[in-house]
Amino acid sequence: MSGYSTIGGDVSGSVPAAAGADHVALQFQDSNLQTFPPTDARGKLTDTFSRPAEPEQFGWHGYFNLLSYRPYFNVDTSDVVQRVGDSLVPFKGDFVEKTATNPDMYGPFWICTTLIFVTAALGNFAAYLAHKTSSAGDTNWHYDINKVSWSAGLFYGYVGLLPLGLYFVLKYLGVATGLVQLWCLYGYSLFIFIPTSFLSVVPVEKFKWAVVAAAAGLSATFLALNLRTHIKTASERWFLIVCGCFVLQLGLGLLMKLYFFTVQFS
Amino acid sequence: STLTEPVSVTLARDARRVANNLQQIVVFNSNRNDPARTLRDWDLWGPFFFIIALSCILSSTASTNKSTVFAVVFAVLSAGAVSLTMNVVLLGGKLNFLQSLSVLGYCLFPLDIGAILCAAYSGKLYRSAMIFATLLWSSWSVYPFVSTAVRPSRKALAVYPVFLMYISMGLLVLA
Repeated sequence: MSGYSTIGGDVSGSVPAAAGADHVALQFQDSNLQTFPPTDARGKLTDTFSRPAEPEQFGWHGYFNLLSYRPYFNVDTSDVVQRVGDSLVPFKGDFVEKTATNPDMYGPFWICTTLIFVTAALGNFAAYLAHKTSSAGDTNWHYDINKVSWSAGLFYGYVGLLPLGLYFVLKYLGVATGLVQLWCLYGYSLFIFIPTSFLSVVPVEKFKWAVVAAAAGLSATFLALNLRTHIKTASERWFLIVCGCFVLQLGLGLLMKLYFFTVQFS
Repeated sequence: STLTEPVSVTLARDARRVANNLQQIVVFNSNRNDPARTLRDWDLWGPFFFIIALSCILSSTASTNKSTVFAVVFAVLSAGAVSLTMNVVLLGGKLNFLQSLSVLGYCLFPLDIGAILCAAYSGKLYRSAMIFATLLWSSWSVYPFVSTAVRPSRKALAVYPVFLMYISMGLLVLA
């Protein structure tokens, strides 16, 4: 015992009283166990998005409570209109910057839903027009209800799963991204396909191809440019990822044209 | 006390409630500016009946894929009503969830009438005019309820999906 320094030294047998130096306060660090879905996203795309103090209210069952998703719908009509307008002009590449503080899920969800109904209805209408202008009523035309379900699967699946996959890939590569920002970006990039569908009703095949190609090109460029500005500095493989997303978006346009707006006379 | 009454009394009471609510929402709404007081006595039998009726009518008049048509229409209407309500709540509006489902279901009544009339006659112009008129009627009934539930700067965001659903249904009836 003699070797010990005197921390309240001659109190025998008892636990030495905590001296000042030992009084390293037990600091409770902020738990890194983020169970609340939104706050998991940190990094370049999200650090200006501060949330109102919701996690303390909800805990782990925030996933199931509708109100915990309210911050993602905090947009006014003018915001949505402006974002939609931005998505039509792909050459600026600053969409994600503009939505970094307030990414919304309203746009992606309702643009997808509108696209589903629009492509199903107009695909059927295009088939009807083609039927009328070519074969004069020898086969009976009927409304193809399967278009609605396939269209729902295609668009909800694309916008739902692809950003999720991209998010995981980027996380693996160490690039900081936010999942909601990716959903927002992908959702708004699909807006241009809505007017495209209206134009694809014209029964002239070349016109349809031209319109779909233009729209798919614009949409994919919008997506690629915005992704590029974000992951360019963070990883050497950015070019591969951006190209991949570009090609997939073109593929979506192609699929849309082939399934909904191509009429086969069997 | 309602357990001991005869079935006919229960059915009559429910039927009277449905008729009452229908009249209040679709025909003449004295509470157009106050959505909280609309349909105080809401119920879900009316909406259920109207959704099933529309699905059955569209299914029976479809030339192929009858069961798929029924399934798709039913799924779209019910999932649509739920997601429309969730949309308003997420945009910051204050709505009672089931009451809102009830109102959205009752506003389908004009479309039901349109579907029945379209099933009866098949002139194209006639059908288009009928669908257009019933769509206007549905939209007129549902608009005050949804638009007053959210802030004015977000009104269009809340109202647009409702119109989307009704117009899609109208087009489905037309085809």
